[in-house]
Amino acid sequence: MTRHSPAFGALILILGLLTAVPGDASAQDARAFIGNLGNQAIQVLGPSVSPSQRVARFRELFREDFDIPGIGQFVLGRYWRTATPEQQQEFLRLFQEYIVQAYSSRLGEYGGEPFRVTGSRQAGEETVVNSEIDRRSGGRVQVDWYLTNRSGRPKIIDVYVGGVSMKVTQRDEFASVIQRNGGQVDALLAQLRQKTAAAH
Amino acid sequence: MSLRRSPLIVSGLLAAGLTVAGCAATGPGAAAASDGFNDPLEDTNRSIFSFNQVVDENVLVPVAKTYRTVIPPPMQQSAHDFMQNLNGPVIFGNDVLQGQAGLAANTLGRLAINTTVGVGGMFDVATRVGIPHHSNDFGTTLGTWGFDEGPYLVLPVMGPSNPRDLVGQVADGFADPGDQIASSYHRIWASVARAVVSGIDVRSRNIENLEDIQRTSLDYYATIRSLYRQRRAAQIRHEEENLPNPTPVQGSDARPAPSMSYSIARLPQSQQSWPK
Repeated sequence: MTRHSPAFGALILILGLLTAVPGDASAQDARAFIGNLGNQAIQVLGPSVSPSQRVARFRELFREDFDIPGIGQFVLGRYWRTATPEQQQEFLRLFQEYIVQAYSSRLGEYGGEPFRVTGSRQAGEETVVNSEIDRRSGGRVQVDWYLTNRSGRPKIIDVYVGGVSMKVTQRDEFASVIQRNGGQVDALLAQLRQKTAAAH
Repeated sequence: MSLRRSPLIVSGLLAAGLTVAGCAATGPGAAAASDGFNDPLEDTNRSIFSFNQVVDENVLVPVAKTYRTVIPPPMQQSAHDFMQNLNGPVIFGNDVLQGQAGLAANTLGRLAINTTVGVGGMFDVATRVGIPHHSNDFGTTLGTWGFDEGPYLVLPVMGPSNPRDLVGQVADGFADPGDQIASSYHRIWASVARAVVSGIDVRSRNIENLEDIQRTSLDYYATIRSLYRQRRAAQIRHEEENLPNPTPVQGSDARPAPSMSYSIARLPQSQQSWPK
C-alpha cells in the first residue's frame, strides 16, 4: 500500500486537478478568500491604525492579493500597446504605489465597519464575490469583488463599490491625463512619479 | 435635490436644459471627438468645475464645517431624515414610473411610518424596522426608459450632470408636492430654506470624502466625471436597491453622528443631490 507507481500518482494528481478547478469548490474558495481579505482590509483601515501603518499594510494586501499586471494593463487601456516595455515596467511600479496611497486614504471611511460576504457567481473567466458593508450612518454599500485565477490562485482584478468600478475610474483618469498631454505616456509617468514621491 | 427647489432656478434650468438637449441632438459629431468620454464641452466644463471649486472652498465647505460643529449631531441627523422624508413623494412617483413595485411599496411604507411615528419625518424609524431608504429621481426614470445620458455637463454650483439628469431635476422640481404647496401659498422662502439646508446637509457629509479624492487624484475633474457616470448607470440598473432588506438595526446608538459616513460611490452627486 505504501508504494504507488508513478502513473498512479499522476492519475491521482490529474483527478485532483479536474475536480478542484471547476464548480462550487472554487466559488467557495473565492468567498472564503474575500471574507478573509475583507475583514483584514477593514481592520487595516480602522481608526486605531496610524496613517503610515495603514499604507504599509494596505501595500502588503495589494501586492499579495491583487492581479497587479492585469489591473495595470487594463487601466493604461489602449496606451499599454503604444508604451515601450520600459514604460510599461515603470508604469506598473508607479501605478502600484499610487493605488496603495490613494485608496488607503479613500477607503479609510470604511474602517471598522461590519463586513460580510453575501454571495458569488461566475462571470466568464472571473468569479464575482458580492459583499456588503454596513455603514455607521445606517445605510449599507454593496462591494463586488472580481477574481481571476490566472496565476493559479484567486487574485482580485477589480472592485465595484456601489456599482462603481475602481478599475474603470482609474482608467478614465489616466486616459484623461495622457490625452491632455498630447497622448504622451511619459506625462502620466511623470505625474505619477511626482504624486507618489510627494506622499513620502 | 438641493438647489432645484427654487422655482427661479428651476425655470432657468429648464431653459438651459432644453437648449443643451437641443444642441446635443443637433450636433452628434461633436461628441465623437472626445475619445469615449462624451464630453464635447470639456473646456467649458472644466472652467465651471474650477469655478465650483472656488465656491466650494470659500463658501460651501466653511458653511458645512460650521454646521457640523455648531449643530448637535442628533439634530443634524433629524434634519437629514426630515429632508429625506420630504423627498419621499418624488421618489415614490419615480419608483412607480419605473415599474419598481417593491421599491414603491418601500417608499410608501417609509413615508407612512416616518411621517407619523417618526414625528413628521424627523426620525427615520422605517430604516430601523428594516425598510431602508433608497434614492430615485426622474433622471433615473428617463434612463430606465432608454434615454441616453447625453454629453457630460458641469453646472455652476450644482456640479456634474448631463441633459438627461438636468431634465430629470427640473421635472422632479415641478412634481414635488412640498414645493407646490409652498408656491401656492406664496411661501417661496420655504422652498429656498429647504434647498439651502438640504445642500448643507449633503455637503457636510462629504467633506473628508471629497478632500481625499481631490488630494489623491492626478486629474480630479476626470475622476469625478467617471464616478458620476458610473454611479448614475448603477442607479439606473437598480442593483443595490433591490437587495433583500437588511435585518432591522437594534438600539438607538446604531446611527451616531453623520460625519464621514458617505461612500465614495455616492460622491459624484455630492455637490448637488441624492442624500443617501
